[in-house]
Amino acid sequence: MTLSWKRIYAILQKDWKDLWRNYFVSSIILLPIVMAVFYSKMMDQTIDLHYMIINLTLASVTAFIQCAVIAEEKEKHTLRGLMLSPASVTEILMGKSLVTIVLSVLTLIICAYITGYNPTNIIMIAIALIISMVFYLAIGTILGLISRTIIEASFIIMPVIFLFGFGSMLMGLVERYPALSFVEYLPNIQLVEFAYKVEEGAGFADLWSYLAVIAAWAVVGIVLSGVVYKKRELDE
Amino acid sequence: MENIIEVKNLAKVFGNQAALEDVNFNVKKGEIIGFLGPSGSGKTTTIKILTGQLLQTSGEASVFGVKSSALNKGSFRQRIGVLSDNSGLYQRLSIEDNLKLYCDLYHVPLKRMDEVLDLVNLGNEKKKIVSKLSKGMTQRVLLARTLLHEPDLLFLDEPTSALDPANSQQIHEGLRRLNEKGTTIFLTTHDMSEAEALCNRVAFLHKGKIQLLDEPKTLRRQFANGSVKVELKNGNVVSIPNGAEGADELYQYMSKNEVVSIHSDEPTLGDIFVQVTGKELLV
Repeated sequence: MTLSWKRIYAILQKDWKDLWRNYFVSSIILLPIVMAVFYSKMMDQTIDLHYMIINLTLASVTAFIQCAVIAEEKEKHTLRGLMLSPASVTEILMGKSLVTIVLSVLTLIICAYITGYNPTNIIMIAIALIISMVFYLAIGTILGLISRTIIEASFIIMPVIFLFGFGSMLMGLVERYPALSFVEYLPNIQLVEFAYKVEEGAGFADLWSYLAVIAAWAVVGIVLSGVVYKKRELDE
Repeated sequence: MENIIEVKNLAKVFGNQAALEDVNFNVKKGEIIGFLGPSGSGKTTTIKILTGQLLQTSGEASVFGVKSSALNKGSFRQRIGVLSDNSGLYQRLSIEDNLKLYCDLYHVPLKRMDEVLDLVNLGNEKKKIVSKLSKGMTQRVLLARTLLHEPDLLFLDEPTSALDPANSQQIHEGLRRLNEKGTTIFLTTHDMSEAEALCNRVAFLHKGKIQLLDEPKTLRRQFANGSVKVELKNGNVVSIPNGAEGADELYQYMSKNEVVSIHSDEPTLGDIFVQVTGKELLV
């Protein structure tokens, strides 16, 4: 199967124009930026602070925007038009993810500037962030495809924002309730652990296991979003 | 001529409600076939199965020789165009932006956009934002989008339902021109005049079953009662049977100069539908 970049770029262009006129969705990028301004003045600039903002960006910008744009396509019956066109699942989902990626990266850069985050090994951090972003894109895609309307999507995404955006706060509970130890394997927690190791100067041999866990979440997310998309191609 | 669509014993059941029952028909290349029936008769269900949006419960359907279960391939979708009641446009974007996306999705040059907009009489409106358009204009943009890639087979579900007569006529002319170039058209409608104006054959669909399928002219003749209607100067309309007896009666009226008009007493497709199904063809 060959990908048509023309189709992917066409969907990206359309989404870019459409999103800037959709204030309900695009204004979400202000949430992590405001939080970054607020917390950088209140707290010490630790890895925990940086990654609270980064995880919040991934959950609220990456997952939410992806979820909202797909849910709106469903609600307005425009997704059916894309599905009936010659564009493949991969082309449609890649096209629909690119605007979300651009906005997420911009928000991450702005937030990192505000909180003064300057990682020791930027390449390793970038790899981990890219893999994490794929996971959040997949979550957003799945929830967008499940939702019937954009309003429903904005409700359904809330647990994701709380679990993954503020999930590091759950670590306190893990110490008290060992049954919650699975929380340590959530991609947001793995990302924080990974960042600590990077700052300690760890090499790839010490870091790959964190990347593998995040990548496993991303792969499961991609497969599930493909399955849900295929189901949505058919009316019930 | 080659069959583009082949349907055998097609059935679709939603829950315990049958939407289609034992439907059989073929569509030949270059034909315009109309499925006529009221809401809920199974017209849209048929289109959804034939475009890979819905799986049938039983029976077989194929389009261009591809079985309905495999109709979600890009190569198939390049050859078809679908306009249905669940087609949508990007409301915040202009007509031009909407069509440009589809030009790129179908790998069609952008100049084609102006051709289809002229066809639907929207050549001067392409900068307009879709959310500001009337229902009729929106329907015309959707139709333009469907025609962009000059598909081999067009599925049109109530294509002119929101249009005024002048625009409907213009769309009909456009569809005829497209058909002359070789596009096969499968359309559903409850508008008998649209079916008469466009279709080579019509199928009457009622309660998920095809009740009749033939050329409109053949159907009208088949259901004609062999008489003529004569309108007289006194305002009465009399039905005169064909034959020697009728000829005498007609001669009487004509010799007295009482005749205003004479028409063959062929039923309309609407009359035939009522006769066959016992129901009016309502939306």
